[in-house]
Amino acid sequence: MSAVIANALVGNEPRVAVIEVFGAIAVHLLGDFVVSVTGGYPKVFLDDVEVEPWTPLYCRQGSTLRISPTGAGRVHYVAVSGGVVCDEILGSMSTYTRGAMGCFGRPLRPGDVLEIGSVDPAEVWERVSDLVPPEQLVSRHAKPEAPLTLRATLGIHTHLLEDVELLLRNEYVVTPESDRMGYRLDGEPLPSAKKLGRLPSVPTDRGYVQVPPDGKPIVLMSDSQTTGGYAVALHVLPQDTDFLAQLNPGQKVRFKLVDISEAEASVRTYLEEVNKPPLYRKELEYWG
Amino acid sequence: MSRKPSGIRVVRSGGYIVHIDICEEVSMDCVKDMHKLYYSIKKEIADLVDEIVPGVTSIAVYYDPRKISGEAVESKVRELWLWSRSIDIAELYKPRRFTIPVAYGGEFGPDLQFVSSWSKLSEEEVVKIHTSRVYTVITLGFTPGFVYMGEVDPAISAPRLETPRVRIPKGSVGIAGRMTGVYGLESPGGWRLIGRTPLTMFDYRKNPPIPIHPGDEVVFKSIRPEEFEKLFGVFVGDYSA
Repeated sequence: MSAVIANALVGNEPRVAVIEVFGAIAVHLLGDFVVSVTGGYPKVFLDDVEVEPWTPLYCRQGSTLRISPTGAGRVHYVAVSGGVVCDEILGSMSTYTRGAMGCFGRPLRPGDVLEIGSVDPAEVWERVSDLVPPEQLVSRHAKPEAPLTLRATLGIHTHLLEDVELLLRNEYVVTPESDRMGYRLDGEPLPSAKKLGRLPSVPTDRGYVQVPPDGKPIVLMSDSQTTGGYAVALHVLPQDTDFLAQLNPGQKVRFKLVDISEAEASVRTYLEEVNKPPLYRKELEYWG
Repeated sequence: MSRKPSGIRVVRSGGYIVHIDICEEVSMDCVKDMHKLYYSIKKEIADLVDEIVPGVTSIAVYYDPRKISGEAVESKVRELWLWSRSIDIAELYKPRRFTIPVAYGGEFGPDLQFVSSWSKLSEEEVVKIHTSRVYTVITLGFTPGFVYMGEVDPAISAPRLETPRVRIPKGSVGIAGRMTGVYGLESPGGWRLIGRTPLTMFDYRKNPPIPIHPGDEVVFKSIRPEEFEKLFGVFVGDYSA
């Protein structure tokens, strides 16, 4: 959702390619652009002046945009008016590093030059300069609730894990072994997973909470494998998986069980917002 | 094979997926039932849902809850299950046969030795047994271009590694119990590697990126290392034995 909002803040279509940043980055701008930074709440500098994330920024040719993480959030998004130009592969412009696919097919390196779609920045600025995202969304990124509540439904193997209650009763901590494929959590293990061992592989997706034989949950993320043989205990709702992605190692989560009608309602809202990000004019008039 | 009295077990999850569990243990009978249901769903309700993904003994149907409820998807799937019981797979899908050349053993198959000692057969015998069957493609997945196939002769059905390898070269051919598989991309993995194909299994520039589908047939052919070099990079869809 952060990537989609970053695009909307610079007048792009929601699915245009953006720069995803784990950690810090400096971007030297080779033209005039409207730029936005979202995801978490990092420190952002335009040349040496501190500017705000989550807002459109008019940047002149020759200036340098710097992002440095603050611990509020983990994955930051930089959108540029016109969008990063990438070929669409299988319906996506995302980079999948394990498959060396998408755009550069690898993480960006110092010295890479990105091609940007051609739009008139002054005209874009006219349209977007007073756009703001919902305050609640920004403050949730600036100061995530601790522990973060992850709403989840039952998963395909919940019935095989007689001690799944432990997952719902305890807090779990994000470990450093967490990447775009999955976030490994530490905490009270589920002994029943050890007895189960391997199961016939089932289709898997983002948000699935797998429990391998060591009993400690792994939440699958955007680069999730498509099939897996570990027990699937729960399925975290897409909206909440977005917020989980923003947690750094050491931060805590807890799972909360919801029923299918609540899950479907949440997914409906999510899909609407991904296609049409909720943004307001500064006077708090709804836009769009 | 154990099966619930109702035939299938359905779990709706996440607000956008309906999971259908066909049975609890892997068998080729179960796989056949899964393929029949998979192609029935594709044929009958593909336009109502977003995506239909087979596993080894289960299917996930992705839907958009703005357009249809999980409850409605589930009831359609249950109807199709009953209907698919009475028909032949050939009415739904005509399988293609693919030949996959493999250089066995040595640097290409670091676990051939293990499979040989596990099975108390010579390496040559293991290769002979592996290449003498026609395998059914169970599903694709895990990483792009990984092909799950069955059923491996019990004589060579060695178990997975206890600890998966961190990096397996693309094209590696492995055994995991009664299944055999090809790694389409370099990836981590725990299957016993007996050889490697020079063919490119998955190429996103092609349409489709992999021509192999669930229900298709695969035979393996043993090749020498010189042939491996010669065939390296040929797309699986362009290779003919």
